[in-house]
Amino acid sequence: MEKGELQCKFGILSRPDGSVMLSEGNTTVIAGIYGPVEVKMQKVLIEKAAVECHYRPKSGLPGVEDRFYESIIRNICETALAASMFPRSAISVVIQEMQNSGELISCAINAACLACLDSGIDMKCMFAAVSCFLGENNQLSLVPPVNRKEIKATFVFVFDNICGKIIASHTDGKFSESLYEEALYICMNESKNIFSFFKKSLFEREEKGKKK
Amino acid sequence: MAVEYKTLHPQKYYNYYLANNIRPDGREFDKYRPIVLNVNSVETADGSAICKIGQTTVICGIKAEFCRPKAETPNEGFIVPNLELPPLCSPKFKPGPPSDQAQVLSQLIADIIKNSNCVDLKDLCLHPDKLAWCLFIDFICLDFDGAIIDACIIALMGALKTVTLPTVDYDAALDNKLVNIEERHPLKIYSTPVSTTYIIFDDKYILTDPTVEEENLCSGLVTIVLNADEVCCVHKPGGTALNEGQLFDCIQKSKKRSKYINELIVSAVKALN
Repeated sequence: MEKGELQCKFGILSRPDGSVMLSEGNTTVIAGIYGPVEVKMQKVLIEKAAVECHYRPKSGLPGVEDRFYESIIRNICETALAASMFPRSAISVVIQEMQNSGELISCAINAACLACLDSGIDMKCMFAAVSCFLGENNQLSLVPPVNRKEIKATFVFVFDNICGKIIASHTDGKFSESLYEEALYICMNESKNIFSFFKKSLFEREEKGKKK
Repeated sequence: MAVEYKTLHPQKYYNYYLANNIRPDGREFDKYRPIVLNVNSVETADGSAICKIGQTTVICGIKAEFCRPKAETPNEGFIVPNLELPPLCSPKFKPGPPSDQAQVLSQLIADIIKNSNCVDLKDLCLHPDKLAWCLFIDFICLDFDGAIIDACIIALMGALKTVTLPTVDYDAALDNKLVNIEERHPLKIYSTPVSTTYIIFDDKYILTDPTVEEENLCSGLVTIVLNADEVCCVHKPGGTALNEGQLFDCIQKSKKRSKYINELIVSAVKALN
């Protein structure tokens, strides 16, 4: 059960404080983060920074479904960022979908984490998302089937790197409780690989920075 | 004195209660508020229900309209849920276009309907590629006092089970439809999803069926939707991290409630006939 290859490139955009292009298998997103920046009057929070997330689909305007993704990503970033260090400001995370072959939500969440790390903003923990797919033969797989119709259920779990607890869970489709449990443990193991990928990419980024 | 203390230090006020294993409204951690369900409350709708969980009130109305199926799915109709959070229900909401929260909740309801397969979209098709029913499911929140999604799903199932659609004779060659309003048939419902919301308070207590005060102070939210023996949604949008044991515990707790609410909906619909 090999997961699609992870590839990332830091600092591809010059304006954001942190930016990254991340590919998981055939799914690619670009994430950028601005923060802490000035906040709109109506969104100002006196005790912490307001975290906002903007998600742009590949084509067309963002719809209701995209708002749903935005809210999940925003909530996760809110949990992980040390927002109380920047009162009366805003941290804005912008995600641009490039290509989607199934694991879009997990790729967007991982890109958000890498963008935060790239910007150097204070964080309480890292987070990694893993998608798991239930195929037609009731087999769980980390790679999305080529034919979307074969997917009976999709699980997305987000873990933190300190205690390995579950920050977020999102599911699609019907499944039994035992399958949910099984998917959770598969994703939990896979999240360790993603954290080591994060670490490796950050080291590589440091090396490149030194050469310049 | 207690009132002043609650306004000044709401978090501490709650912590004092929770340390003694009781909530300020007198409930234990895993106790629910009373539920009231009234079906067929709106005469002009094709199906409707009002659900109250404690003070939370949601009214759901279903209206069926004709439409043309999409070319990709020529033998399926549509279901369009929409939740409205008017300024009347809470000071948090302002008039104007739907807030982010309303859009997110509408999407969650749409996902639950799709995942649970409670209605087969093929049943809504009258003639392939020509004519189908589109069910507009509108929810209006009258009082926003926490666990809104639970109330919406109970009202939704109550309303869906009372939907009756008129019989239609469709002549595809002439594109002519004859609607017999007197002769109505019920919609077939295949399953009853039941949603239960939990909050994580102060990173350690898990409270069932939160009120809005508890929701505002909480550090995380989990919504679990069960469909008979199957799980059809475990939605935890960020917040305090849980370990797997706590999450499975929540699923176990939801199981009992799922049975109870199923019976409630069945008896409410039975009382109607």
